Amino acid sequence: MDLIAKERERLLQRAARVYGLSFTAVALVCALLPGAVDPLALVISLPLFAVVAFAQLRMGMSRSLLWVGLVLLCGVGIIGVFRFVGSGPSPEAGYSAILQLAAVSLAGCALVLTSSGPRIALLVGAFLLVGGSAVFVTDGVPQMLRTAGLVVLGWLLPTAIAIWISVGVPQVEKRIASIGRAHRAERQASELEAQRRQSARLLHDTVLATLTLLAHSGVGVKPDALREQAADDARLLRQLRLGSAPTPPPEGEPFVSTETSPIPVIEEPVLGTTLESVQQRFNRMGLQVHWHGTGQVLLPSDVLDAFLLALAECLENVRRHSGVTEAHVTITEDEKIVRALVTDSGVGFDINDVDDAKLGFSESVVARLRDVGGNARLFSAPGSGTTVVLEVPR
Amino acid sequence: MTFSAPEENTLGVVITGKGRTRVKQPRRSGRVANSAHRASLGVAFLGLGAAILVILRAVYGFSWFVAFWSGDVYPKPIAALASWIVLVAVLLGAIIATRVINDRLPDWIFALFVTGLAVSVALDLIAIWDLHSIGHHATSAIAAGMTLLVVVAVRGPVEILVADGVLALALAVAMFLNAEPGALVDGEWMAPQLIALASAVLPPVIGVAIIEAFRRMVQVELDRVLTQSTVSAPRFAVGMLASEELARLDLAAEELLDSIATRKTPLPLAPKMASVAASLATELRLHLIEGRRETWLYHAVSESELLGKSVTLVDKSSLAGLLDPAQRDGLLSTAWLLVSDTTKANPGTTVTLQIGPLDTSEPHGLPAHKLLVPITITTTGVPRNRVDPTIWDAIGRVGRYSDSTQDSSLRVDIECVVDNPADHNA
Repeated sequence: MDLIAKERERLLQRAARVYGLSFTAVALVCALLPGAVDPLALVISLPLFAVVAFAQLRMGMSRSLLWVGLVLLCGVGIIGVFRFVGSGPSPEAGYSAILQLAAVSLAGCALVLTSSGPRIALLVGAFLLVGGSAVFVTDGVPQMLRTAGLVVLGWLLPTAIAIWISVGVPQVEKRIASIGRAHRAERQASELEAQRRQSARLLHDTVLATLTLLAHSGVGVKPDALREQAADDARLLRQLRLGSAPTPPPEGEPFVSTETSPIPVIEEPVLGTTLESVQQRFNRMGLQVHWHGTGQVLLPSDVLDAFLLALAECLENVRRHSGVTEAHVTITEDEKIVRALVTDSGVGFDINDVDDAKLGFSESVVARLRDVGGNARLFSAPGSGTTVVLEVPR
Repeated sequence: MTFSAPEENTLGVVITGKGRTRVKQPRRSGRVANSAHRASLGVAFLGLGAAILVILRAVYGFSWFVAFWSGDVYPKPIAALASWIVLVAVLLGAIIATRVINDRLPDWIFALFVTGLAVSVALDLIAIWDLHSIGHHATSAIAAGMTLLVVVAVRGPVEILVADGVLALALAVAMFLNAEPGALVDGEWMAPQLIALASAVLPPVIGVAIIEAFRRMVQVELDRVLTQSTVSAPRFAVGMLASEELARLDLAAEELLDSIATRKTPLPLAPKMASVAASLATELRLHLIEGRRETWLYHAVSESELLGKSVTLVDKSSLAGLLDPAQRDGLLSTAWLLVSDTTKANPGTTVTLQIGPLDTSEPHGLPAHKLLVPITITTTGVPRNRVDPTIWDAIGRVGRYSDSTQDSSLRVDIECVVDNPADHNA
């Protein structure tokens, strides 16, 4: 049974519970009225009422027909006790109690008896049993007819409610399913969008660098340079947001956005132009970067990404810690490896003194390179500058 | 574009005027906001059914009115007639209003509706006051109670129950005041009053109960369908919440940078803006790192209102991502059945899904390209015998399983065979 059918059953069970229990209570109160039924009959019926109420309570949680059977049998038992123990029911209160039981309280079982063939058969059987006993204990033909009419109405009502709900649920199910389909599409779209944003790692890296500068109120960097950098980054973020419209970038701009496949992705251009952008960025922040060696290197995009991130990270360390305003980057390549040598003539440090992790070196540089099969090595000594060797496979 | 400091940033951190105060706030997606609207799915259909019942009930009551009228029973027949005219007008007006508006009924219409019913009840009581048995002779006053069902689909349960309660009280007080001396101890007089009271007051209660159960069902089903979409997600996904947040962070960063570039925000930055930039950078970094690492199951659990409350996921190696869609569906259904079946009866139910760790020590005789992922489901508050049988089908779709009882609650160990990811992408 699928889940929605289960939910429907549960809904009907709950309805049957509240329906049955409310009117069992009414029937009980009627029976408790002075002179309604014989005191002995009342005493005998009280445990039966308890069983009916308990079974109706359980009916709300369980699909088992046991509880339905218990409700029906004990209900009919109560009717019999009222009629045949002692003086019998009084015309108003006593018969009201019987009618409330037979035509309403017990009829609540019909709510859970419409979902399958056997259950419908049980429903008919239950109706005949309960209705029959209610009519049987009624004296006088006109009263019998009235009882019969009320019992028929009383059983038709919950049956109709059950059918109505059963018809309504599949309709809702269809609409929910279509919402689900829409949501799946939405999820896929949002997933692609997130991947697009996350894969624009280089862009985020420069944005993060700029934000970090701003977090220190931009102290130490010329306001104009910072504004220029902010403008660049904001424009790139806007391109990312707008799905990167395929506008050709103005001369020498760092990032080229191109329309590829259905999902636009910010593509990293060849190493040469990207190196220029890194250089520009650091120049603005007060670090002169000098390039040596190969100008144009073609790398797979993930490798290029990691390589540039590591490089930018190294230059950032130079900018922050070296105390000089110049760094040299030498790029060499052979058939297998592209290598970058980042050197500065700054204060340097004793490698044994400074924990790798503290510099963010192992995480941001080494880990990124290892991800793509590369490697990084660090050489430094106090007073004699720092050299970092970055290697990635071609 | 100008940048205005957000009152609350995307990690739920509230930025107040006196610097930043960290307040942990539970965040759920925007779904919650419109869930009330979505939960009204299909309720209109039930409302139509209720309207039909009310009309039938009114016809029944009206036939009694006609019988009393032609039998010259009414001491004040004009009041009874007026009562019925008011009731029919209110009933028709309410049905038309609910059909036309098909959304939450405006307060003033509801007020008008309830007032109309009150007038009708009062007129009917006036008409039969001298007969000293409201239970025997009230017609429109009883039908008025059931008429509340017309708006059951378009007003909140509490309002309807309150209106119903007021009606119950009013009728009971009227019956009490109207009783002749000695009648209150006469069961034969009391019974019809009781029946009349019950038949006026109980139908709205039952109707509200059914509609609320229906709404809950729709809610649960929606929640399930929405999380179901994770079944077809890639092995690692960012998830809808994180994805929305990343987009918002990017936008916030863009606005901040733009406002600096266009000199709307002066440099050097004020400390407050600097701290905004710092927190933006931190969040952005977090989102860029953590985003890729979550599996569909994590997203399903965290996005679902129902699962989120009681399911704990232990999946250190993110192995859930390896399950194929059928296995995912089975596992998610299992969690659903465990939670939705038992939480209502027992709010203390918890379900823990432990996926892995991989056991590489013993050979398991599987083909080389397959991998055995052990999944352990431990629960609290789920007795073994209360588990719905359909759950075993769902678990069976995940893999071979064995069930047992731990701390008098269900425990299931599943051997889930998945494709070895090493063979797909080196």
